Amino acid sequence: MDIIDNLNAVKRGKLSRRAFNRSLFAAGVGLFSAPLLPRRAMAAEGDHPTFFTWGGYDIAEIYQPYEAKHGVLPNFSIFGGTEEALTKMRGGFVVDAAHPCNVGLKRWVDSGLFQPVDTSRLANWGDVMPELVAMEGNDNGAGRPWMVPFDWGGTSITYRTDIFELEGEESWDMLWDQRYAGRLGSLASGGDAWWCGAIKAGVDFKDIASDEAFERISAVMREQRPLIRVYTDDTTTLEQALASGEMAAAMTWNSSAVLLQSEEVPVKFAKPKEGQLTWVCGIMIHKDAPNLDKTYEMIDALLSVETGQFMINDYGYGHSNLKSFDAFDDETLVSLGLSKNPAEILGEGHFMIPQSQDWETRMNETFEMIKAGF
Amino acid sequence: MSDAVSTQGSIPPTQTERRNGLGRLIARSEVLRGYLMLSPAMIIMIIGVLMPFLILVAMSFWTRDGFDFDTTLTLTNYGRAIDEPIFGAFLARSFWVSGIATVATVLLCYPMAYYVAFHVHRNKMLWIIMMTLPFWTSYLLRVFAWKVILGYEGVINSSLLTAGVIEAPLEFLLYSQTAVIITLAHAWAAFAILPLYVSLEKIDRSLLEAAADLGDGPTKRFLRITLPLSLPGVISATFLIFIPTTGDYITPALLGGPDGAMIGNLIQLQFGAVNNWPMGATLSIILMLWIAAVALVFLFVTRKSKESLI
Repeated sequence: MDIIDNLNAVKRGKLSRRAFNRSLFAAGVGLFSAPLLPRRAMAAEGDHPTFFTWGGYDIAEIYQPYEAKHGVLPNFSIFGGTEEALTKMRGGFVVDAAHPCNVGLKRWVDSGLFQPVDTSRLANWGDVMPELVAMEGNDNGAGRPWMVPFDWGGTSITYRTDIFELEGEESWDMLWDQRYAGRLGSLASGGDAWWCGAIKAGVDFKDIASDEAFERISAVMREQRPLIRVYTDDTTTLEQALASGEMAAAMTWNSSAVLLQSEEVPVKFAKPKEGQLTWVCGIMIHKDAPNLDKTYEMIDALLSVETGQFMINDYGYGHSNLKSFDAFDDETLVSLGLSKNPAEILGEGHFMIPQSQDWETRMNETFEMIKAGF
Repeated sequence: MSDAVSTQGSIPPTQTERRNGLGRLIARSEVLRGYLMLSPAMIIMIIGVLMPFLILVAMSFWTRDGFDFDTTLTLTNYGRAIDEPIFGAFLARSFWVSGIATVATVLLCYPMAYYVAFHVHRNKMLWIIMMTLPFWTSYLLRVFAWKVILGYEGVINSSLLTAGVIEAPLEFLLYSQTAVIITLAHAWAAFAILPLYVSLEKIDRSLLEAAADLGDGPTKRFLRITLPLSLPGVISATFLIFIPTTGDYITPALLGGPDGAMIGNLIQLQFGAVNNWPMGATLSIILMLWIAAVALVFLFVTRKSKESLI
């Protein structure tokens, strides 16, 4: 029974109750399934990749070549931390590409959810800094990398030059300074804080999995805890607290200091004498990526020089494309804590070493206990 | 239809009836009709509440094995929850914070509800709407609003500084248990005002007149008539606030600071960074049992006190 028949039946006054009910039923099914249709239609037309990434990477500036070609941006899904992201993906969430960091690389690869990258499909691959590609565990055994390095930087102390009275050199001791009890801030995730604790405790990253290392780092973290005003993963909270003078110093990434400086808050991103914590993040492709071709195009856009210049200038992060640095003079780069030679920065600092899942769990458990006051 | 009417007592299984057996059964049986009307809600309850709860119970007896679960049933997690002081301390802190917040909310909201129920005679609905107006915004927004009020450069600190009452901003206002209690007490006020108002509104005014005629003063009248009769409202308000706030996650996460974290934050960590889902499930079950126990004790005590009041 179609609509015309029904209309005719109504006109003739002969629409039976049964026929009427049947059309109502059809209308109900139609209404119910309507939301499914456009989604499928859109997927057929659009099919743009979904990028599972950190907040702040969902802006047009870093996808310019992709946007120029397709007129739209890729789709985004945002996570707050890589551990959360991996848990979600293990639960069956399929995206085209995700944005982990070197410390999680081994565990991400072990999850079996990713495919090695075919670098011949990336036009910008030739300009990618080889030091970053050569990170531990990135080779799949057949000469292909698992992760395309994209951004790199440091975790250190951002401090108010007008409030914090420096005693001698810049050092990690600043975040353990009794004079500023209750006016220090820290990142909440063990992925940063625990490693910084290791630097402070003088633990070599090679030995970070030993029981002795756990004891020594726990001791310094416990010592620090009463001094900390708030542990948070929300960098905005730390930036606002530094801007208002609520905090004198806080553990942050490069971007916080760059942002505050651009707003003319007197802050400095410290170069601690023990060395800062350095990290590299990159893009991994899901093994079932539904839009593989465009995923490669998206990665290529992220590796482009335009993107790199924006990353360096506006976020203060290092970029993996060597040519991105050509637009900046050495002075600017030094003030951002960067260099054209990443090996220099990464070598000066402490480069995080990927750890096992057991270590990661034990570290998180211990650190959460300490933060809770135990 | 005619034979259905004629055979109401005993039903011979005729040809037509067999064909429409199910339809007729439903039409005739009131119990079945009742279940049929309930079924959409019941299906949602089974899929959305009962099944996840059973999964949670089952998971609480498992253990973590790397990224997977070891599904042999064991009481290890429950043992850990009892042995390790962190879990008990968080539970105690949650009950403390949420208990204070509940008492504060009910005490603050009772006079408001009382005023509207007894002293407002026109536009009562408007008053109720005005009181619940802040709750038309999202919970998260209200928590953030308190961050602005209590903050280092917040409303309270700047006004006190301008007035010259304090020299430096008060730091205990934000990132402390105080901040969590203040925010919870405000954020859940609507859940106290409405049940309190309803129970106060229902009180028969002639009882109050009778008490006055028999020589009770205002205080005695309140204690002997109004309070006992509004107790159901007080009890439901207490439950409506105490139960959800004990497990509250976002308020302590945003305003609690290092000393203000509650059991909800600990459970979230188990499912997140610590990646120990079975332990998180165990903690959820323990929290549920504790809340049930506290609620039962509270119910018992109020029933006893109500009896003694009347």
